[in-house]
This record gives sequence, C-alpha cells and structure tokens, in this order.
Amino acid sequence: MDALVSLYHGFENALSLQNIYLCLIGCLWGSMVGVLPGIGPLAGIALLIPITYGIDPTGAIIMLAGIYYGAMYGGSTTSILLNIPGESASVVTCLDGYQMTQRGRAGAALFIAAIGSWIGGTISIVGVMLLSPVLADVATKFGPGELFSLLLVALLLLSSLGSSSFLKTLAMISMGMLAGTVGMDTLTGAYRFTHGFMGLYDGLGFVPVAMGMFGIGEILSTTEQSIVREVYRPRLRELLTTWDEFRASIGPILRGSVMGFFIGLLPGAAHILSSFMSYTVEKRLAKRPEEFGTGRIEGVAGPETANNAATGGAMIPFLALGIPTTPAIAVIMIALLIHGIRPGPLFISENPELFWTLIASMYIGNIILVLLNLPLIGLFVSLLRVPFGILFPIILFICLIGTYSVSYNTFDLAILLGFGCMGYVFRKLDYELAPFVLAFIIGPLIEETFRQALMGSGGSLAVFYESPITFTFMSIAAVLLGYNIFKSLRQSRIGVSSTGSTGP
Amino acid sequence: MKRNGSLMLSVLVGIVFLCFLSAPGARAEFPERPITLINPQAPGGANDVLARPYTQIVEKYLGQPVVVVNKPGASGMIANVAGAQAAPDGYTLTIGSSLMTIVMEWEKISGKEPPAYISDFAPVGVLSTIPTVLSVPYASPWKTITELINEVKANPGKYTFVSAGLRSPTHLGAERFIKALGLKCRHVPYKGGGPALQALVGGHGDFTTQFSLTSIPLHRGNKLRILAVQNSERLKSIPDIPTMREAGIQNIENGMWLGIVAPKNTPSAILEKLRDATAETVKDPAYIQAIQAVGEEVRPMGGSELAKHWALESESISRLLKELAKEGMK
Repeated sequence: MDALVSLYHGFENALSLQNIYLCLIGCLWGSMVGVLPGIGPLAGIALLIPITYGIDPTGAIIMLAGIYYGAMYGGSTTSILLNIPGESASVVTCLDGYQMTQRGRAGAALFIAAIGSWIGGTISIVGVMLLSPVLADVATKFGPGELFSLLLVALLLLSSLGSSSFLKTLAMISMGMLAGTVGMDTLTGAYRFTHGFMGLYDGLGFVPVAMGMFGIGEILSTTEQSIVREVYRPRLRELLTTWDEFRASIGPILRGSVMGFFIGLLPGAAHILSSFMSYTVEKRLAKRPEEFGTGRIEGVAGPETANNAATGGAMIPFLALGIPTTPAIAVIMIALLIHGIRPGPLFISENPELFWTLIASMYIGNIILVLLNLPLIGLFVSLLRVPFGILFPIILFICLIGTYSVSYNTFDLAILLGFGCMGYVFRKLDYELAPFVLAFIIGPLIEETFRQALMGSGGSLAVFYESPITFTFMSIAAVLLGYNIFKSLRQSRIGVSSTGSTGP
Repeated sequence: MKRNGSLMLSVLVGIVFLCFLSAPGARAEFPERPITLINPQAPGGANDVLARPYTQIVEKYLGQPVVVVNKPGASGMIANVAGAQAAPDGYTLTIGSSLMTIVMEWEKISGKEPPAYISDFAPVGVLSTIPTVLSVPYASPWKTITELINEVKANPGKYTFVSAGLRSPTHLGAERFIKALGLKCRHVPYKGGGPALQALVGGHGDFTTQFSLTSIPLHRGNKLRILAVQNSERLKSIPDIPTMREAGIQNIENGMWLGIVAPKNTPSAILEKLRDATAETVKDPAYIQAIQAVGEEVRPMGGSELAKHWALESESISRLLKELAKEGMK
C-alpha cells in the first residue's frame, strides 16, 4: 500500500510539464544514441551531462536515466536493417533480425523488438520498484566464483550459437577471446600484446572492434554485391507482425523479461550477456533450433526484451547501494554527485521523492519510447530504399564519429579500420562474427573472475562448488558439456551410417 | 537596409575601439582568451566531481572561462604527455592527481622511459584531497582496527583485501597499512571502485581501503564498517572513527589529491596568477558548498605546498612500488 501511495506521488511529480519534457528529451536522445552505431549510452549520457547542470537533480536523473534505457530501444534498429549492431547489447539481434529483413520481414522484426522492449522495460521497473533493497543484497552475493560459473555456462552456450559449422564457430570464439587479452592484465599489471603502443594499454575497445567487424565489414562486403540487391519497397501489411509471429514471440518476451532483469543485476557486461543468454535459451527451447539464424522472430523478440529488462536490474545496485556496476550507470552517479546528491544505501529512504519520481518517469518513458518507435518503423524500413551509395558513406562516417567519441583517440580509428578489414575477410570465408564479438567480451571476464576467485580462495578450487550458486551453475555447465559431447558423438555415428542427416 | 548599415557602422566603431584598447598594452594582462584544461578521464568521470565546480567558479577570478578537454586513455598517460608538451603560456593546463604520480613513477620502475615526468609540470594548486578509509564487511567480526590487526597478524596469508585495481590509490592504501605492520594478506584487484565495493559488501574480501566519498554512504547504511581513516585528522562526517595514527600506525596516510598543473616553463607571473585564482576558488563559499553537498570536506593546497607534497608523495609511492615490484608485480 505504501508503495502505491509513494508511486502515486511519484507520478504527480513525474507528470509535471518540465519532467515530462525532460523525460521526452532523454528518451529521444537515447533512442537516437541507440540507433546510431558506435555512439552508446555511455557517450550519450556523458555528452548530455552539461545540459543537466541548469536543472534540478530530479529532472537531471529523469533525463539521464531516459537516455540509458532509451538506448536499448534503438539498438536493434540497425542490427535488423543493416546487420550493424547499434548497441553492444544488440549484437545477437543481427543473427535473426537481419535474416528477417532479407526475407522482407524487417517491419515485423522492428515491431516485435519495440513491443518486447516495452514489456521487458516495464516488467523490470516493477522489479526495481518492489524488490530493490532485497535484490541489491542478492547481487552482492555474486562474487568472482559465482560470476565465473555463470560465465562458464555462457561460454558453453556460445559454442552453440553459430549456424555455420561448429569448428568455424570455435575458431571465432578462440580468436575473440584472444583479442580480449590485449592490454594491461587486471591482476598482475603485465602489458599483453601491446607492442609498445600506448593506445593498446587499455585493451581493444568494444566499439572499434564491433563497429569495425560489423559496420565497416558490412560496408566493404556490400559494395561488391550492391548491384544484385534490389531496392526493397515494403507495404503496410508487411510492417506488422502476423498473428503467428506474435504468438511465437510471447514466450521469448516473458522469459527474456525475467532473465534479463536478473542478469542485469550482475556486474560486468550485463546487457550483452542478457540478450545473448536469452537468444541461446530460446534456441535450446525451440522445436527446430536449426532454423535459428535464418530469420526466426523468437531470435529477435527474446534478446531485445532481455536487454531492456536488464536496464532495470542494472539500476538496482546503484539505487539501493550507490554502487554502479556498469560504466553508463557510473556516469549517471557522477552526474548526481555533481548535483550534490550522494547515492548510497540510504538514498531511497533519504530521497523518497526523487526515487519514486524516477520510477514513475521510467514507466512514462517506456510508454513514450514505444509510442515514439512504432510510428518510426515505416520510416526506418524505408531507409532500405536509400541507395547504398548514399547510405553507406553516412554509416561509415557515423562509425568513425562514434568510435572517436568514446575514447577521443585517433588510434582507435585505426583499430576500427583494421577490424573492418578482418570483418570483411571473415564474411568472405563464411565465418560468423557474433561469436567473435561475444567471446571478445566474455573471454576477459571469465579469465578475470577465475583468477580473482582463486586469489580470494588462496588457490583452493572449492570456491567453484562450495556455495549453492556456484554449485548450481557448475552442474548446469557439466550437463551442457555432457549433452554437447553426447550429441556430437551421436551425430558422428549417424553421420557414418546415413551420410550426415540428423533425423527428421 | 538602413538597419544593416547601422549595424555595420557599430561593428566598425567597435573594432576601432578595440584596436585602441589593445594598442597601449602590447603585453596585455593574462589571460586574454579562454584557458584549456586537459582532463585525463572521459566525460562523466570521477574527476568531474571536483573539476566541474572549479571550472565554473574560477572564471570569476580569472576573467576568462576554463574549457575542459577530455583526453582519456593509457591510465592518463595520453593526457599527461599532451599537458607536458603544451606551450608554457598558461593557456593549457592539466588535471594532475596522485594517479599521475603513480603512473609516472611506475613507468620509471618498470624500466620504461615515461614520456612525461613530474618535473615537466609546475604545480598550480590542489582542489581537494580525498582520503582512503579502511573498511570491512558489515557482517565481519572485527569492530576495531586493533581486532583486525591482531587477527590478521595471527593468521598470515589467510585474509584478502580487495582494491579498485592494481596500483590504484586504493591498492596502495592497503599496501601501506600491510607493510607498516608487516602483515601478510592476499590482494584481489577489481576493475574500478564500484565492483570492489560490491565485492566487499558481499563478503568476497576481508577488508579494503576505498575513498571516503564512496565508503561513507555504505558505512551509514550498515553495508560495511569503517574502522580507520588514512588521514592526518578525523573526518567531520564520521567523527567517531579514529585515524590510523591514533591507532598507533604512523605515516600511512593515503588518499588522492586532485589539482591543476601547468607546463614547467610557464612564466612565474602567469603561474602566480593561476595559483592565486585557484586559491581564491577553493575558498569560495559556492565551491565549498558544492563539495560539502556530497559529504566531503575541502582539503586544498597552494602551489608551493603542492610542490612539496608532490615531491614527498612521489618518493613514498616510488618506494612502495619498488617493494611491490620486488614481490612480483608487473
């Protein structure tokens, strides 16, 4: 009851003209930041902080939070239309989203991404509203050992991601993990593979690597096939999802909401992990998993819901403890400090009005975002009608600007172009890029958490099975591994007897 | 047309007037144009908490705006090089801090030629110093610093401490404590203060030395317990917590100063002007209020004071880093 009364007051504040206006600006800018490849929520928020100096702290956090969750809405757009992830969390959406576009279902994919984002976002706000203090304590229980066991499950799931051959996927995973080791080692301070370049001390950035492989690589490979591609002209009916597609998406959306919300609580790469875990889980649950990667709507609905749900989860350690677990939230926290508000465990009880206004504004923001994005679908799809000669130089330009805006370092532009060429070669050789990029992110985290856990335990491996959380994840990992080995053994045996077909 | 004509005329008059103004003073008063301040962090980094109110208020005393330019990367080295190589005319300043000291001293120890040395800079002033505080998880049995010391002494190698990263001020703070008492603990570095504090609150480490700014809210909210502060005097916001010195451990004060530095050959007249303006700014009620709002006190230093402090700091950090390098830190 208390919560409802507070929420009512929150809505009263959030619905003031100024706050709605700020929420709208945040959401608009967030959507744009999400759509533009390279410019992520981190840069998007940092760029707008100076604007918030003139307004009160409540308005400032409403706007900055709007950018944060708004960016997750827009991220899918370029993944689906152009095979270039607008946001790190939308890498996995490229797999099926782009295939849907090639089959003329771009509108449907964008539609379900927007609806899923809205549902996921809203469910996660309910979670933030009701469970913040409890879940913040749960989140702190995830130490290095627990995170490692979870990431191990993620890594095993990663191997089943590609639709091309398993060996090729494995090669991409290994290379991605290798690329992730560049830079200063967190635990010993040794510089690895830096070759004396100061620009490599902090490691390869996600933005230049991903934008290079996906963005630049896509541009390079499309230039040689552009003559074959025909200009695509959608009709209104094609913009909407069919009833069958909608029904198929309900399960992934609901599972994605819950999964994304809880994964969002974890420190590290919560958004990427949530969308990718949702994708692989949907693939496992599907009746015909081999169809994933050919344009299944579940492969868009699940991940896009999950990365939005993760925004709520990721805000919990920040709101309830004052501990930012993602870089974008760390920037929001600095903005609040500049405004003279210090987040911490007492933040909610000392600033109830601010907290509830923020919650209310997030409900409103999610509605604004879905209303903003649905009518834009037609416009976005018509982007495909823009001749490549005009569209791709613009994308190239945005990739360059986006990369530069993250680090202010021209060295990263060279990395962007280098990985662009790599992306092109991989495409030509029919290797999938998503496993590379995901391994690039998960690999260093696995290494770091593994070593942190062992350093904490003094070298005892018990840290990986003692606590109930690690035990559960380790068991899942063992089952997954066993199942994979069993399946590949059976497949090879069937392959011997009946020329490689894998059943009906 | 008529309006355009009169506009042109007034612009012309203005230009002529300006020429007259600057004619007698061929060497006009510094600063004549906006000053650039190089920030070694990306926008929205922790430096902004102090630098933002500073740049806002110092304009009042300098008569020119100070514009922040972000040059993040390579642990601040990219910004340090840019700042050291800037023209020494007072128009390009750099945010200096203990982080700068650490990264430069470490480059020397690890056998590299640092592309910028502390001696390449002339100190202007410190905006504030943020001390580290030693804390334990709230569920920890240790209620005082003596209990912690006795227990850790009795069990060498059993306990771990977490930090915000290798060679971060939060790492060095704990190492100063350990080395002063001859304790043996394992170090688990995390990527940043947020993850380190989250790990400590969750009980994945036994103690940590984090900045007062981030630790005190968690102490108040009963998520961790601060046992001692690494400052020369007690902190006003937690007056019941003793300093390390009071607990009987000398010379392990630790923290991070954040200030303004200029290229080394900056003319003394200009340097004095910058120092005065900075000293006025950190005394300004608006500045003090902005810092107190987040629960911190302002602990500034003047230019000459910083010069002395910087020499002492680099010496003690260098000694500590050498010891750590001997123990295998790369």
